[in-house]
Amino acid sequence: MKLAPIDYFILALYFVFVLGIGWRLRKKISTSGDFLLSGHAVPVWITSLAFIAANLGAQELIGMSASGAKYGIMTAHFYWIGAIPAILFMGIFMMPFYYGSKARSVPEYLKMRFDEKTRAFNAFTFAVMTIFSSGISMYALGLLLHLVLGWDFSTSVICSAAIVLIYTFLGGLTSAIYNEVLQFLLIVAGFSPLAILSISKAGGWQGIAARVKPEWVHAWKYLGSASANPMGVEVFGMVAGLGFVLSFGYWCTNFLVVQRAMAARDMSSARRTPLIGAFPKMFIPFIVILPGIAALALSKMGLGYDLPLKPEGGVDYNQVITTLMGKFYPAGILGVGLTGLMASFMSGMAGNVTAFNTVWTYDIYQSYIKPGAPDRHYLNVGRATTVVGVLLSIGAAYAATRYNNIMDLLQLVFGFVNAPLFATFLLGMFWKRATASGAFTGLITGTLTAALTWSLTVAEGKGGVLGVMHEFPSVMAQNFWIAILAWTSCFVVTIAVSLMTRPRPAKELEGLVYGLTKIGGDPGAKWYQRPAPLAVVISIVVILLNIWFA
Amino acid sequence: MMDLRVPSGWFFTLLGLIVLGMGIFAPDARAALTDVNVNLYSGAAMLVFGLFLLLMAYRGSRSRT
Repeated sequence: MKLAPIDYFILALYFVFVLGIGWRLRKKISTSGDFLLSGHAVPVWITSLAFIAANLGAQELIGMSASGAKYGIMTAHFYWIGAIPAILFMGIFMMPFYYGSKARSVPEYLKMRFDEKTRAFNAFTFAVMTIFSSGISMYALGLLLHLVLGWDFSTSVICSAAIVLIYTFLGGLTSAIYNEVLQFLLIVAGFSPLAILSISKAGGWQGIAARVKPEWVHAWKYLGSASANPMGVEVFGMVAGLGFVLSFGYWCTNFLVVQRAMAARDMSSARRTPLIGAFPKMFIPFIVILPGIAALALSKMGLGYDLPLKPEGGVDYNQVITTLMGKFYPAGILGVGLTGLMASFMSGMAGNVTAFNTVWTYDIYQSYIKPGAPDRHYLNVGRATTVVGVLLSIGAAYAATRYNNIMDLLQLVFGFVNAPLFATFLLGMFWKRATASGAFTGLITGTLTAALTWSLTVAEGKGGVLGVMHEFPSVMAQNFWIAILAWTSCFVVTIAVSLMTRPRPAKELEGLVYGLTKIGGDPGAKWYQRPAPLAVVISIVVILLNIWFA
Repeated sequence: MMDLRVPSGWFFTLLGLIVLGMGIFAPDARAALTDVNVNLYSGAAMLVFGLFLLLMAYRGSRSRT
């Protein structure tokens, strides 16, 4: 694929705008709160789109279209039973405690609710995880641009990281959030024409259904047993593992996304942020997953489109979206499409960097390294951390090129740490009897259970280092079941240990736990500005989508 | 605080003009599998969206003063 001068011009225009937004916002920063928390001053439509965009990294776009071709419409479960219910839960039930507690970060909430050790565990693992995930997505982008356009890996990695660094350094979280909105709009502009063109070329949904195996066009019909569908997952693993544990764990406890809602002006806006974000989120499968399935159909039509291959043989699903662009986009819109891909990478990376910043500055530096300094000092630390965070991510991207196995191992370990987390938050927010020792013991037990489950089961040759008690039909099924077991053990152990330890006085838990917190209504708010009616509308639409593609 | 609709509006207006221009002045620029003038339609859509954002920002700034 070759770009015309006009495509480079569009890319350059986009760079000018993101840097310009950062430059315009630079003057607003006078405290560490302005830099790291946006001073709670961002309008709700902006926090909502940023909430979705921070998660819509390049890996998501590339990965979801890849899964579309590989597994079909079942991939949409990541949205329709995964993300959406979790986002609704977060907006309705959890945001009151995050925002109402006045915590500046998710780990800080854990400190207020439980104690220092739970916070430290969460803050350290989260900080390391954000650096690695931004490094890994940088690596994925550099590799793709090299394969597709022949761009030099180092140039594309360092240039795009430098731009993210400049605008987050200048305007902090506000700049990251404002740019995420522009990036989100650009992603939609760059990807939706591709969806329309590729799907209509493949003969619409009917045409696609006639050309691919039926398992690829039904999200629910073949979930009865793991062997009946390409993902190798059965309905319980899907609903409980992906839908409940993993998605709620991600959307409700990951500071990367929670931070966007926390930046809202007031409680009502903070609660509406995830809910309004859920609307565009529901339809993202149409621009990322459906083109992947269309690609599979097109490859069977003899039109000259073939699924991309790896040099060593086998289909390279990660190149599906870019090869489609090459076949469907002429110069001009091709520039928009590739700029959209760059934008998605930047929004994901800026999301990681700004979340890392806050957790490092407030939860690690201010708590354990140098407490009690004047705010000016923490502002400078926040700025310095931006630079360090970007440099560390670049380092992680290069590490990924050399030590792919170490990266796989790290991702696996993060999975173990994350799986039980939602049980801790659920009990912390809704059961006032949960104690600090209970939470910490539960988290550690859950993490160990995850590691142990992986070590004792095998799927596609992965895991089973301590012996094989069970074989899963796919790595995905294994991940879902690890999550289910980790969550359950964390839940049970937290309750058991809590009942054996002394409860905290109710007075100390005000604003942190359900039943001890006043959740103010919104007098004067119209129905569409209130969380519950919004959630009902979203639920109806998402149920219809599930039925439509069942 | 800066009204984000202004820079996004300008961005999409410019982007729309460029892509629409490609569609008008190079209508035969087609990729291997496209049958329609993609630049024309998507450029027009982006231009309209950009102008819409600018209009909203303009109305917003007037109602505030």
